[in-house]
Parts: sequence; C-alpha cells; structure tokens
Amino acid sequence: MEKVIEVKDLTKEYNKGIKAVDNLSLNVYKGEILGLLGPNGSGKSTTINCILSLLNYSKGSIKIFGKEMNPNSYDIKSQIGVVFQDVSVFDELTVYENLDYFCGLYIKDKKLRKQYIEDAIELVGLTEFKKYYPKQLSGGLLRRLNIACGIAHKPKLIFFDEPTVAVDPQSRNNILNGIKKLRDNGATIVYTTHYMEEVETLCDRIIILDKGNILARGTSDELKELAEIEEKITVEVNNLDVKYIEKISELKNVDVVTYSANTLLITYKKGKNNISDMVEFLKNNKIKYNKIFSERPTLNDVFLELTGKELRD
Amino acid sequence: MFLHNFKYTFKTLFRNRGLIFWTVAFPVIMATFFHMAFADIIESDKLKVIDMAIVSNEEFENNILYKKTFTSLSDEKNKDRLFNITYTSKDKAKKLLEDDKIEGYLELKNNKPYLTFQANGINQTIIKYVVDEVHDTEKIFLMNADLDNSLGTISADIENYLNNNKVELKNIANSNLNYMMIEYYTLIAMTCLYAGCLGMVAIDNSLPYLKGNGKRITVSPTKKISIILSSLLAGYIVQLISLGLLFFYTICILNVDYGNHIGHIILLSLVGSIAGISLGVLVGAYIKASDNVKSGILIAITMAGCFLAGIMGVGMKYVIDKNLPLLNKINPANMITDGFYSLYYYTDFHRYWIDIISLLIFTLITIILSCNKIGRAKYDSI
Repeated sequence: MEKVIEVKDLTKEYNKGIKAVDNLSLNVYKGEILGLLGPNGSGKSTTINCILSLLNYSKGSIKIFGKEMNPNSYDIKSQIGVVFQDVSVFDELTVYENLDYFCGLYIKDKKLRKQYIEDAIELVGLTEFKKYYPKQLSGGLLRRLNIACGIAHKPKLIFFDEPTVAVDPQSRNNILNGIKKLRDNGATIVYTTHYMEEVETLCDRIIILDKGNILARGTSDELKELAEIEEKITVEVNNLDVKYIEKISELKNVDVVTYSANTLLITYKKGKNNISDMVEFLKNNKIKYNKIFSERPTLNDVFLELTGKELRD
Repeated sequence: MFLHNFKYTFKTLFRNRGLIFWTVAFPVIMATFFHMAFADIIESDKLKVIDMAIVSNEEFENNILYKKTFTSLSDEKNKDRLFNITYTSKDKAKKLLEDDKIEGYLELKNNKPYLTFQANGINQTIIKYVVDEVHDTEKIFLMNADLDNSLGTISADIENYLNNNKVELKNIANSNLNYMMIEYYTLIAMTCLYAGCLGMVAIDNSLPYLKGNGKRITVSPTKKISIILSSLLAGYIVQLISLGLLFFYTICILNVDYGNHIGHIILLSLVGSIAGISLGVLVGAYIKASDNVKSGILIAITMAGCFLAGIMGVGMKYVIDKNLPLLNKINPANMITDGFYSLYYYTDFHRYWIDIISLLIFTLITIILSCNKIGRAKYDSI
C-alpha cells in the first residue's frame, strides 16, 4: 500500500525535559482513515503539529507523499487540509468570505474556487448560512464552518484534530458522515479524538497513544483481541444478597464480579454461553432481575487494560 | 496571494468595531472635545491684549530689532496686536508690576534681555516666548554678519527682515493658538500610534503561535513574508483612511489651521503611522495574551507616551524635556509632536528632519526586534 505519511522515531522534547512524543513511528496509507486515540495530553496534537511543521521536533524524520516535510514544503502543503481543535475563523468575515479566504490560500483560480466553496458548503450543510457571520452561528454550525475551511480546497490528505469536541449529537453525525464522504472521494484522513465510539465507527486503523508513546495499533477488532476480557454481562437486580456475589465469582469463566447501585457487573475472560449460564443461575436461585445484557469489550476496556486508566481521564 | 490576503485583512480590520473605535472614532471624539474646550479660550484670546512694560534705557532705544518688534506687536492698528506696552524707567516698571498693572517687564542689559514676572501663567509664557524668539533672531543676524559690515548695515538687514517677514510676527502674535495646536498635534501623534492596534491585529492573525487563524495560514502553501507584509499594508491603508478622516474633520469641520506646512505635516503623519504600526507588531509578537489584554497594553503605552508628550497639558512636555530628555527622545509620541512643533516654531527644518529620522530609527529597531521574535517563534506549548 502507498504510504502517504511516514513518521520515524519522532521525539518532541520540551525545554523542561518533558517528552510530549517519545520515539514514535507510524505510517498512514492512501485512502484510509487513521484514528489517533488517546486521553488529553497523550501527544496526539503534538504529533500532528510536528507532522505539519508547526512544531520543531527533537529527533526523527517525517515524510509526506514521499518527500521530507519542512516549513517551506509548499508543494506538500498545497495538498494538505487541517481542521484544528479550536474553531479558527475570522469573526469579521461571513461564512462564504471565510471559505473564500482560506480556500484562496490554496486555489488561485476564482471560478474553480467558487465551485470548491459551494461543494464544501453543501458537504457540511451550511447552504442556508452563507451570509451569516460566525457569531450568528450555533456551536455545531461553527464547528461545521471550521471543518469546511479546512477541506474546501479538496486536499488529498486531511488532519482532523478533535473536530467534534463540544458538539451536539446531530452536528456530530453530520461531521462524521462528511468525513466518510471525504474518504470515499479519495482523501486520506488522520483523525484524532478521545471519543472511542467515533474511532470505532469511523476509522480503518487505530493507534492508541499515551504519554507520547504508542500503546497499541491495529483495526478495532484487532485491538479488542488484545484485551483479556472476552465479555461483560450486566444485570439490574435489587437488593442482592452478598452470598450470591461469592457464588457467581466461583462460576465458570468468571473473572471479576462487582455489585453497586443495584447493578451487577460480571466480566468473563473467555468461554461460550456465559449469558445463558448466568440466566440459569439467577433462575435456580430465584433471584428476580429487571434487565440482563451482554457486551463485547470496548476500546476503553483495551485502554484500561493497557494503561490502568480510563480514556477520558 | 499578496492581493488576496490584503483584501481580506483590510475587510477584517475595517469590520472590527473595537479597532475602528480606537483608530478612527476616538481621535475624532477627542478632537471634538478639544474644540469645545478651546473654543472659549480662542475667542477670549482674540480680544486679550497683554499689559507689559519695557525699561526704556539707551540700550533698548538703540536695538532696532527689539524696538521694531514690540512697536509692531503693540500697534493698535495691528489686528494681531498682542501687547499694551508702557515704556518707562525700571523703578516705575517694578511699581507697575507690584500693583498688578502689568504682567511683567523687559529690560535690555549688556545685550541680553531680562524679564521680570511676579507670577507664572500663559501671559508670562507668551511674553517670554516673544522675547526668546527676538533674541534668537538677533543672534542669527549677528552670526551671519560680515565682520567688516558696519552696525548700520546690520540694522538695515534687520529692518529688511522685519519688513519681509510679517508671517513670523503673526505666528508670534498667535501664541495662545499655538498652545492649542500642540494639543491637536499630540492628538495626531496619538492617532498615528493607534495604528499599532492595526499592526497588532494583523500580525496576530498571521502567526501560528498566537491564534488558530495563524496556524491555518501557516499550514497553507503561502510564504509567511507575503502574508505579513500584505497584512501590514492593509493595516496601514486603514490607518491612512483614519488619518485622512481626522484631518478632514479638524480642517473642514472644526476649522483648525495647521499652518503653511501641510505637506510636511502629512509626511510626518505617514512616518508616525509606520512607527505606530511597528510598535503594534512588537507588542503583538512579544506578548502572549488575549486580544483585550494586548490591546489594553498597547493603548496604555500609547496614552502614556502621549501624556508625556503633552496631550493633557503642554507643560508636561517641557518638564520631561528638561528633567528626563532621554525619555522624550525614545518616545515616538514625542518625536511626532516635536516634529509638528518644530514646523510651527522654527524657520528651518533641521529639527523636523531629526524627528523624522528618529521615527525611522525607532521603526527599524522595533522591526528588527519583531523579526527576531517572529523568525524564531513556532507554536510551542504543552
């Protein structure tokens, strides 16, 4: 597969000796959506800023489209789009003017630019708001404008740095669908977030970062294989006697049992028919329950196993 | 790319209400307040004639320059009449001063003028100013005189000079007006330095470590120098519009008379505005803070500079010139007001050009310091 980004042994060390990124290597392949997943301060944004030459780095090499990336790589930059975490638009310009300005930094041909802007407006669903100023837009619409400004020039490689932070569910769906469309149209995408459900549904491959190091990489399923947890069963049951908790923990395949707020949580390492075994146990012991359901391990479980902490810590 | 960025920077600056208030509206409001405050003074000063005495000794009678000047300035037929002069003995002059009949008296002794006052005020300042001017003019004549020339020839030169330099006397006669003009000049200086706000915003939007827009621009395939120069040019054009509006308002609406050197005044304003923009770039490049904090710092620097240059009272300018001359030499507001001042008070442009050069040196230093910071800086935080 054709490598679009090739990062080797990237290290970014700040003056105080703090390593924000430590010996990180990664490849991004043409046409994929790569998710960089990690909690706040894990080094996701620093990695992207280094790749974009917004930051000096202490060690390593970065190639984009097979060429060394540096601040003066204008030919490479012309094929890159960036959607930053903070909304970066001009309050004094309308939606259309903002798009025209940022797109104009890449596309000189006015006619072509006009077409590209219309496409971007349609993609993010801002057709009715072309003449609005940013202050007149809701938070979700503002995020969409932020995205449109980053992708209007139809780049081949797009970086999304946590584009859905503080966005309502409707706008989030709109944004995620838009990103899928961009991938379907041939763009390669690097997507950073600390929302695991986003990377699970959106990304072809995922890299989990923490403290500037890569903890794991692979597809969503490959990463879940890493978790020793096979299954989680949740039972809503009122006033469960403590003696049953002990009995459950002695059942086949059971790893950990917890009970709090009328919720019984049983994690299994492996094995089959765990939920039917549990239903039978409840029936035999005449324990009344409101609800019982089974879950596969999430990326958060993987992260928890790898780091001992929650993703959103 | 240059024109594209110029166009949109111009739009963003022009639509920024806060900026437009400080750079366009505020100077016009201040000019209006000045006009209201000084209108009464101008009216009363037109009618006011200052009572003074001159010790009528032999030296005065023989000094054609002093005699003719004071005769002219006390001539009842002269519409710019400034003084009502009593020619008397020294004792009688003293008595007149003690009885508050005169503001002060002049005595020529050993080729030097001696002034005696009982109080300090604008009338005493005017008398002193006129005497200083005459004394300086006399020195120039004596310096330029050929040693072989007889005193009679020098006297003829002086007479000739007085006959052909009515304007000079008019300027002297309008000294109160000059006092007011310094306030207007300081206002122009302030407007020039407020261009700093435009420079600061322009640079803020162009640099990656200051704002998200700067990051977005930095990752685009555009050269930083092209973005910065076009942004600053847009800021400068907005500033010129602001200055043009201020000149139009003060000249056409408030009837302010800037004298005969309008070309020099405009040149000084243009150079002053460049210095203002460069000051804004310096603040923008070095201070990492919110827009409001940075604007506050820049406006505080500008206001402090204007205060020291005399916007709240011309006395401050003299106090600083006398006690802390270095402070006024590095104060761009003072460089600008001093340039205007020199146009009004001096017949040659030596001091004016020194002020222009000083402003250009100030601009060069601030640009070097800013480039040093901008060149080294990258978005770097954790």
